[in-house]
Formats: sequence, structure tokens, C-alpha cells
Amino acid sequence: MMLLIQRRLLLGAGLGLAFAGPALAQQDIGRAASFIQATGQELVAAINDTRADLATRRQRVAAILRRAVDIDGVGRFILGRWWRQASPQQQQDYLKLFEETLIRNLSARFGEYQGVRFSLGRSQQRTEDDVLVNTIIERPNSAPFALDWRVGEVNGQPKVVDVIAEGTSLRLTQRSEYSAVIQQNNGSVDALLAAMRRQIQQLSAREQGGR
Amino acid sequence: MPSPPRFVAALLSLALLAGCAARPDPSDPDAVAEFKQNNDPLEPFNRTMFSIHQGIDKVVLRPVAVVYRDVVPQPVRTGVSNVLGNLRTPVILANDMLQGEPRRAGDTLGRFLINSTIGLGGIFDVAGDHFGVRGHSEDYGQTLAVWGVGEGAYLFIPVLGPSNPRDLSGFGLGIASDPLTWVGQGVAVDVLTGTRAGVTVIDTRESLLDALDAVNRESLDPYAVLRSAYRQRRNAEINNTNDNVAPAAAGGTGFGVGKGYKPEP
Repeated sequence: MMLLIQRRLLLGAGLGLAFAGPALAQQDIGRAASFIQATGQELVAAINDTRADLATRRQRVAAILRRAVDIDGVGRFILGRWWRQASPQQQQDYLKLFEETLIRNLSARFGEYQGVRFSLGRSQQRTEDDVLVNTIIERPNSAPFALDWRVGEVNGQPKVVDVIAEGTSLRLTQRSEYSAVIQQNNGSVDALLAAMRRQIQQLSAREQGGR
Repeated sequence: MPSPPRFVAALLSLALLAGCAARPDPSDPDAVAEFKQNNDPLEPFNRTMFSIHQGIDKVVLRPVAVVYRDVVPQPVRTGVSNVLGNLRTPVILANDMLQGEPRRAGDTLGRFLINSTIGLGGIFDVAGDHFGVRGHSEDYGQTLAVWGVGEGAYLFIPVLGPSNPRDLSGFGLGIASDPLTWVGQGVAVDVLTGTRAGVTVIDTRESLLDALDAVNRESLDPYAVLRSAYRQRRNAEINNTNDNVAPAAAGGTGFGVGKGYKPEP
């Protein structure tokens, strides 16, 4: 199965080179796919390593995410128009909380994702700068689902800039969510920061309960 | 139950009575852009409808779905889902054709013939599992979109879920054009269509248990998350970009489009 997909990928890359299309873009697809493949394997290994305690696993996952995800870029994108209205202190606090949210969102699900498997699906180029890498996530006792990773290039390195599930972009949904919180609180960025702190507390409580 | 057009009209007039969201400051282009992007001028009304829905969901829909999941084993639930999807195929086929998609129409017709016979009335998805002809969902809302009809203002409707005037009209057309609606009249038919509607609601809610639990538990604003997710997902469905984004059993509006997803094997 894996071999088949790899062969198909190779075939696709070969065809791409043979036909039109900038060689650079084609290289990007392969690079993005192997970047996602490597990152995914690392994450799965960290999640499934039941010998390590929770904190150790969380730290490993955090290190992988910090390396693989364009946290600053995605965080700014999600805060959107409120970024410029936030004070430098608020911006700094926000990015810290955003990173913590990202990590805790995964670590709170360590129990749920025990035994998770991950494989590459088809891979395709979307825009000039970004590549969409399709993957399939399989968990014991539940239906597999597809995730698309949008990979951009930040300072010459491939970085995850978005995750798309069933046609829904996570960063767009989260931007809508955060902006709604600020708007419902009469434009207060502090209200969002407070809500994010509460959310992180909830997630860490779940992490403790759900192993 | 009032007829769908009258139901829609009643809802729309209610929405107008409830008033509109505060318009953004016209001198702030970002705020205006976001207001347009959200496409939710009736937000205060919609948020009220959402909280009504959450109440109904907490007391009725979710508990019923939980019991259904606990009591009915997975293979049976899959069979139920398959039967509902098979019953929807005439509507899917009509919309494949209305959208000028002969290949997809062929898939739908083939699936209907195979699953209704070898699949024992649609209980088993033989076409998908053994012949590799996977199901897809279509509805009149999508067809209207393909024909260039705009979605209109976002609407949240209790029990039905996220929608808009276009998808709501499509939902009504789906009911009006469904063969079961035309089978005849009488108690037996009413019981049949009523049972089907009820089972569809339970089947849909069960498939969304984990996703909606996560949204309600973790999201900072479940209303905004569902609005964004619905509209993005709906666009993907209309463009058939992420094909098979919804299985055949998924209805055309509201939570129906969130009904699970099978990736390619």
C-alpha cells in the first residue's frame, strides 16, 4: 500500500518533469510531501510512545510543532485585522498563547490518538507559493479521515501554514472564531486573551484526565 | 408541518422583525471586509436561533443520538445510513443531471441499481465496497449555486442547522421532488416519510457526535465556528473540489453536510 503510493508519487513527479510546468514548483511538491511525511512520522512516534510520561511526550510534540509550523505567520493571519489594533504587549502575549493552544490541542488528545497511523495520500500543488499535501489519519476503532496540509516556504524552509479537513480550512475557521470573541466583547483583544487562557486550562485538565 | 415555502417565508419575516446586525464602521475597510466575508447581516437573530437549537440539542437530539450509538451496533448503523443514502439517490441523480454531470449521474444510477438489488434495498453499499463506485451527495441547493444563484444571507435554523435562503429553498425542493412524497397519501405514507425524517435526524446527529462535542467543549465561540465551517464546506461541495466530501446519506442543508467522510482507500 505504502509502496504503491510512493510509486504513484514518483510517477507523478516524473510526469510533471516530462510535461510543462516550472521545475522548481515540481520539486516543491516532492519536498513538501517528504517534509509532511517526516513530520507526521515524528508526531505519530511521539504520541504513541507510551513509555514516556505525559510531560515528556508533550515537550517532544511541542518541539516538532515549533519546528514544522509557521506559528508566528499563522497566528498573525488568524488574529487578522485585530493584530494591528493590539498593543505590542498584547501581540506578544497572543502569540505565546496561540502556540500553547496549538500544542495543548494535540496533547489533550493523546489518549484519543493512541495507536494513530498516518500515511500520505495524493499530493498536489495549489498556488504559486503553497503545496497541499494530502494525508490519511487512521485511528483504532474509528473511521479514517483525510487531512490536507498546506505547506508554504518560510525563510527557505518548508512550514505548515494551514490544515484542511473536509474542505474546511482550520486557520479560516479559527480566524472567524477569534474575531467573533473580540467583537462580542466590544472590540477587546484582552477578552480574547482571557478566553484563550481559560481554554488552555481546560485543555490541560483534559490532558491529565484523558490518558 | 407547514409546507416548506411557507416555512421559509415565516422564518424570513421573523428574521426581519428581529432586526439586523450592527453595520460596521464604513470608514474601517477591514471591518467592512470582515462583515462581507461573514455574510451574516442577521447575526443577532441567528444567534438567538442558535441558542434555541442548543437547548433542543441538549435535551433531545444529542441524548437520542447517544442512546442510538450505545444501543445499535456499528454494522446496523452503517446499514441504516446506507438505506437513507439509497433513498436519496433519485434526488442526487436529478441534481447530477441538472448540473450537467453525466459521469456523476451514471455513478449515481449505477449505485442505485446495484445497491437496491444486490445490496438488499440499499442496506449494503455493494457498489462502493466491491465495485469501487463511491457515493457522492448532491442537492438542489448545490444545483442552484452551479446555476449562479447566490447563497443570500447566512441563516441558522434550529434542528436543521446552518443554512441560507438558497440552500433552504433547495431543501424544500428536495422534499417536494422526492419520489416518496409522490407515492400517494394516507396514514401509511405519512408514517413512512415521518419515520424516514426522524431516522435521518438521528443518523446525522450520531455521525456528528464527536465533532460537535469537540466544538461545543473547546471552541471559544461555537456559533462562529459552525458558520465558518458550514460555508467553507458547502463551497467545497458545490465545486466538487474535495469530492465525496459528504456521503450520499448527507442531506442538502444544515448539519447534513457534516456527515462523516471516507477518504479514498
